[in-house]
Amino acid sequence: MDRDKIIDFLQYRFVAIGFSLVLFVIFVSSIVSSGGINWGIDFVGGVKITAKFEQDVTIGSIREVLNKNNISGTVQQIGKEELNEYIISTKLLEKGESAEASANILTNAINSSFDNVEVLGTETVGPAIGEFLKKSAIKLFGIALLLMMFYLSFRFEVKYSFGAIVAVVHDILLSFAFCGFANIEIDIPVIAAVLTIFGYSVNDTIVIFDRIRENNQIQTKQTLFDIVNKSITQSISRTLLTSITTLFAVLALYLLGGEVISGFAAVLLFGIFIGTYSTIYIASPVVLGWEKMAAKKKKSE
Amino acid sequence: MSRGLIYRVIFILVLITFAVILILPTVGEKTMKIELSENVTQQQLQRISERFSSDDFQVEQKDNAILVSGINLSDAVMNEVRIFPGVIDAKLLPHWAESAVLAKKINLGLDLQGGMHLVLQADFKQMEKKLGKTLSEKEKTELSRQALELLRNRVDKFGVSEPSIRPRGNDAIEIQLPGVKNPKSVKKAIGTTGRVEYRLGNDKYTQEANQWVKENLEGGMLPDDPAELRRLEEKIADGIGLPDNMIILFYYERDDQSNKLYPSYPIVLQKDIALAGDDINKAWVAPDEYQQLAVHFTLTPDGAAKFAEVTSEKNHGKKMAIVIDEKVRSAPVIRVQISTGQAIIQGDFTREEVHALARIIKEGALPVDLSIIEERTVGPSLGQDSIESGVKAIMVGLLGVMFFMMLYYKFSGLISDIGLIINIILMMALLSWLGFTLTLPGFAGFILTVGMAVDANVIIYERIKEELKSGKSARMAVANGFDRAFWTIFDANLTTLIAAFVLSQFGTGPIKGFAVTLFIGVLCSMFVALYITKTIFEIITSSRKIKKLSI
Repeated sequence: MDRDKIIDFLQYRFVAIGFSLVLFVIFVSSIVSSGGINWGIDFVGGVKITAKFEQDVTIGSIREVLNKNNISGTVQQIGKEELNEYIISTKLLEKGESAEASANILTNAINSSFDNVEVLGTETVGPAIGEFLKKSAIKLFGIALLLMMFYLSFRFEVKYSFGAIVAVVHDILLSFAFCGFANIEIDIPVIAAVLTIFGYSVNDTIVIFDRIRENNQIQTKQTLFDIVNKSITQSISRTLLTSITTLFAVLALYLLGGEVISGFAAVLLFGIFIGTYSTIYIASPVVLGWEKMAAKKKKSE
Repeated sequence: MSRGLIYRVIFILVLITFAVILILPTVGEKTMKIELSENVTQQQLQRISERFSSDDFQVEQKDNAILVSGINLSDAVMNEVRIFPGVIDAKLLPHWAESAVLAKKINLGLDLQGGMHLVLQADFKQMEKKLGKTLSEKEKTELSRQALELLRNRVDKFGVSEPSIRPRGNDAIEIQLPGVKNPKSVKKAIGTTGRVEYRLGNDKYTQEANQWVKENLEGGMLPDDPAELRRLEEKIADGIGLPDNMIILFYYERDDQSNKLYPSYPIVLQKDIALAGDDINKAWVAPDEYQQLAVHFTLTPDGAAKFAEVTSEKNHGKKMAIVIDEKVRSAPVIRVQISTGQAIIQGDFTREEVHALARIIKEGALPVDLSIIEERTVGPSLGQDSIESGVKAIMVGLLGVMFFMMLYYKFSGLISDIGLIINIILMMALLSWLGFTLTLPGFAGFILTVGMAVDANVIIYERIKEELKSGKSARMAVANGFDRAFWTIFDANLTTLIAAFVLSQFGTGPIKGFAVTLFIGVLCSMFVALYITKTIFEIITSSRKIKKLSI
C-alpha cells in the first residue's frame, strides 16, 4: 500500500451511521419477533442439566418428553454425535416455583423416560439471585463507562472522550442486539464477552485518537477532517493486523473451545468486527461532529 | 553491548528462569503415589497398570505402593484411581519446586475439575416475623457468621479436600466443594438442622472400645474420613460385643494448628437420650469460673426433673456426654445432683462455636433458615473435556497468531513470537504464584490475551516501519519506534485494564477468573513488548552494523 496517500475514510461516514442504524433495527426487530430478550438462567432463574444418555436419543425425542411433561425448555447437543450428550435447560417452570423444585421435575421427567441417564452437571439458579445478578451486571457497565470517561477526559480532550464513549455504547448495544439476532442466550459469560468488547473497542479507538492528537500538534494548516483521515490511514494496518490476530485466537476458541463457551466466543467474534468498524466510522465522525458544533457556536457568539 | 544492556539481559534471563520454575508444578512431570491394600489381587494390579500403560507414564512398584509419574497426572486422575478396587489411597506428591520456591499448582475452578457450588441465602424476613422485630445489619451479619461456622463443621464431615465456605454480602453464604461425588447427600447434610443432646456414658465399654482400637488400629490413629469412621464404629461394636442399648460415638478435639476438629477416641454412650435440645429453656454465653467462654442454660420444668434424675447419686462418677451433630464435644463427670434446672456446658470451643452452640440449643437449629438459591454441579468428566478443548484452542490460536506474525513481519515477527511465548510463561507463573483459580472463562481470557498480546508489537513495528521509511537508520528507527509507541500502548491497554478490573469485581467465580487472566495478560504483554522485545531489538541493532531491518 502506498503509505503517503491518504485514504478518505470519512466520506462514507453518513453511510456508516445509516448502516449501524439499519443493523440495529434488523437485530431489534428479530428480538421482538422472537418474543423478547433471551435471558439465560443466570438472570431469570432456572435449571440447566448436562446429561449423557446411554441409549441413542435425538433432540426431538428429548423435546417430546419435555412437552409431555409440560416443561418448556431448550435442548442442545454437545460434543460428538455418538457421545449422546445434551444440555437441557428450562427457565423457572412456573412463576414463584423454587429452582430446586424445577430441577426435580426436570430430572424426574428425564429419568422416567430414558434408561441410565448420567447427569454430568447441573446448574440451578433461583429467581432472586437472577434479579441480583442482573442488577449487578447493569451496575458493572455503568461503573466501567464512568471510569473510562474519567480516564479519557484526563488524557484527552472532552470531544475525544465523548467520541470514544459513543462508539463503545454503539458496540455494546449492537452486541446485545446481535445476541438476540443469533439466538444466543444472555448469560454471565456473554456479559463478560460484551465487557471485553468494551475494552477492545476503546483500545482500538485510542490508538487512532492518539495519532490524531499527535498529527494535530505538528500540522496546523490541515483541517481536522483531513487530520482524522490521515491518522486513520496511518493506523489502518495496525488496526487490521491486531483485529486479525485477535480474530485467530477467538476463532480457535469458537471452533475448539467446546459448547460451554461457544456463545461467549460468538459474541466476541462479532465484537471484534464491530469494535474495529466503530473506531473508524463512529468514534471519529463523532469527534468531527462535535468540532463542527463547537465552531458553529463560536460563530453565532 | 553496553553495561546497562548486559544487566538488563541478565535480569530478563533470571526472571524467565524463575517463571519457568514457578510453572513446573503445573506443566512439569508429576508423581502420584498409589497405596495398595495388603491383599490386592493380581487382577486389580493389572487394571491399574493398564490405566497407565501408555507411553505418557512411568510406573514403578514399591512395597505396597505404586509410583506413577508423567505430565498428564491431575486431581481428576487421582480421584479416578482412588476408587479402583484394591487401592487404599492415591495422592499427588508435591513437586520439588513447590517446597523450594513456594511455587503452586494453578488451581482449577470447579467448572474444570468438577465439584459443587452452592449459594445459600438466609431468610431474615421470616425470622423477623417470628421475633416480631426488625434485625439490625449487625445482628444479621452475626447470624450469618454463626450459620457459616455451623455449616463449616458439617461440610468437614465429608472429608472434601479444600472446601471453601465464605460469606457473600451479609445474607448469603457461598460454598464450594471440589470433587464432590454425591451432591444430594451434601445438600441434605447442609439442610438438616443441628442437634444437641445429652447422653450418659458407659465407662466399661468405653474402656473396651479404646482397648480394641489400640490393638487393632495401627498407631491407634482414627481415620478422618466419615465413611471409614462409620465402618470402624461397626467393627468396634462387633469386636467388643456391644449391647443393643448402647452406641459408639467419637470424641472430637480441635487441632490447634489447623483449627480443625478431628476424632480423638471412641466413647460408648447409652442409646437413650438423657436430655434433648427441647428440654432447654434458655441458653446464653458467659465466661465460666476459669474465664473460658461457656454456654449457660436453664431447663424447662420437665427438663429440670429429667436432669435431676440423670445427675442423681446413682450416676455420680459417670460421664455425661454432650453430643453436637453426632460428635461428642465434651464429657464432664457427674459429681453433684443438679436440681435447680440450671447448668453449664464447658469444652474446647472457639468463640464462634460457643455462640453457635447457644443458638442451636435455643432454636434447635441453624440460627436462621437457609435456602439454596444457586447451585452448580459439574461432573469430573465434563471438566476434563473442558480442559482438553481449552488447551487445544489455546494451542491452535497461538500457532495461528505466531505463524501470521512471522509471515507479515519476518524476522521481527519471530522476535514478537518469542515475546509471546515469554508472555505466556510469565502469565502462568503469575497466575500460579498469586494462587488464582483457573476457570473455563479463564481459558478464554488466556486465549484472548494471546490474540491481543501482539498488539503492542504491531503498534511498535508499524512505527518502526514509518521511521525507516522517512530515512532513519535501523538503530534510530527502533529507538524512535519504541519511544513513540509507548504512550499509545499505555493508554490503549489501560482502558482494557479498567474493563478487566471492573469485571473482576463482579461476584461470581468463573467471570472473576476471566477478568483476572485478562488483567494479568495485558500487564504481562505490556511488560514483554516494552521491555523484553525492546531489549532484544537493542541487542540486535547494537552488536552488529545492521543496515536493514527485517520487518
